[in-house]
Amino acid sequence: MKGRAVMYAAGLVLIGVGLRGVVVDADVGVAGWAVWFAGAVVAHDAVLVPVVLAAGVATGRLPAAWRRPVRAALIAGGCVSLVSLPLVLGYGRRADVPSQLPLPYGRNLAVVLAVIAVAAVLAGAVRAGAARRAGRRVRLRGSGRRARKAPRRGDGGTRG
Amino acid sequence: MIASVAASVLGPPRALLRAWWRASRRAVEGALRRALEVPAAVPGRFTSRLHDERVAAWLGLALGVCVLTAFATGLFSHFMQHPPGWARWPSRPVNLYRVTQGLHVMCGLAAVPLLLAKLWTVYPRLLRWPPARSVAEAAGRPLVLLLVGGALFQLVTGVLNISYWYAFPFFFTTAHYWTAYVLVGALLIHVANEWHKVRRTVLTGAVMTGPGDAAGRRGFLLGVAAASGVIVATTVGEAFSPLARLAVLAPRRPGVGSQGLPVNKSAAGAGVGAAARDPGFRLTVTGRVTRELAWSLPELRALPSHAARLPIACVEGWSAEAVWEGVRLRDVLEAAGADGGARVRVESLERGGRYRTSLVDPPHWRDPLTLLALRLNGEPLDLDHGYPCRLIAPDRPGVMQTKWVHRLVVL
Repeated sequence: MKGRAVMYAAGLVLIGVGLRGVVVDADVGVAGWAVWFAGAVVAHDAVLVPVVLAAGVATGRLPAAWRRPVRAALIAGGCVSLVSLPLVLGYGRRADVPSQLPLPYGRNLAVVLAVIAVAAVLAGAVRAGAARRAGRRVRLRGSGRRARKAPRRGDGGTRG
Repeated sequence: MIASVAASVLGPPRALLRAWWRASRRAVEGALRRALEVPAAVPGRFTSRLHDERVAAWLGLALGVCVLTAFATGLFSHFMQHPPGWARWPSRPVNLYRVTQGLHVMCGLAAVPLLLAKLWTVYPRLLRWPPARSVAEAAGRPLVLLLVGGALFQLVTGVLNISYWYAFPFFFTTAHYWTAYVLVGALLIHVANEWHKVRRTVLTGAVMTGPGDAAGRRGFLLGVAAASGVIVATTVGEAFSPLARLAVLAPRRPGVGSQGLPVNKSAAGAGVGAAARDPGFRLTVTGRVTRELAWSLPELRALPSHAARLPIACVEGWSAEAVWEGVRLRDVLEAAGADGGARVRVESLERGGRYRTSLVDPPHWRDPLTLLALRLNGEPLDLDHGYPCRLIAPDRPGVMQTKWVHRLVVL
């Protein structure tokens, strides 16, 4: 309990120091800072997450074996694209400094995304093959019932 | 209701009024109940079992490590550039700043998937209704805003800054610095509130979960870790030269640039071309010295020359090693009779700019590896690397390796 009180106090002091700096320091400018601070939250909560939720629902329709590799690939590919977007757009290029952003980033991002996609396809094919073999074994055991491709519990249904 | 309305139509006006009042009250109450019920149902519509305390705890733990590492290395970088009066930074190990600043940027980049996954996991809590069930919860929500906003702000501005895209209206370094305190302060309070969940889920594993959930959770966390891994793998080569060829999505590549070394500011950009090429160039030593001295470029070249293999380690996280040759700063200052404990201001030919000058403390200027470099990788210094003469010292941020040096002022 005492430790918690100390952490609360330290946290509030640090927040106070930071906000004071933002307001007082002429290099910041509190209005522009606030726009970017709140803008980042709004862009995330109202734009990015709804897109991710929609992607979760859409990939929920995939066969169970493919769901997880496709979602992992979307997470990795999406994050890499987001982080390298400023490089691809290239606003930081300067004619007098050719060593700044020296690479063909659009092409490189496409290559990285292709590698991720290939990895996802391989993983999905292996999992789908394993699921098919498991299904055939159930049929051969002569239970008489058709082996149905039940979604595996761990995969969840839709991921909204 | 219809029956009562029908009865009241036939009855006296007073009964009609009462029926109307009852109907409208029911309508208002119903609307209110629906307004409260529908949002209450929203978090229930998130069907994935990954919106789960254990997933949040694992991601939070990883994110906390990244944020605190970035905070510590960031403070290190800040106080190296703005040392308080009492502080004396050591000049060794040679690669210390290179490692801390590379770590700073890599932790920030690796945190991007972690933060996005963490926020997705706890997203249903944003929409819960009513927004707070107690005064403590109501007080906590602004702190969550500071935590989430601070984390997003730091990552967005950081990623833009290493890409040299200055889209924001503030000076990056200062805004990033102050916001770091807001973020870490809010993080401390968050940890104080949530640590018991980390302990019961991750550290002790006391909470049981469904048998199939573990596989789904592991898959999700592995996917997020893979995303961080891909980002780091395609950028870390800008600081860790053995992986330079893998750094296909890094803003810099060691080996690319004039004389095989990246440049941050060109001579044209700094507006020093003519002054640097002027044959009348003199390096002068003034201030608190026993005798003021001045050397022309040929005289500097005639002084005892030393070589040092030192990195340029930029605040943007990239770094690259090179072989520098030139005069020891120590020799020049001792020739002028500077006091061994004095601080020295190194001045560039640049007319303005934040990094026109830099301060060199005794541990750095007395280090035999600290040079006024005249040559780089076996050739005369390129104009963009600071011709005719630049400072290069071990364990020092790139912005403080002043280029186009023409004056040393002993303070």
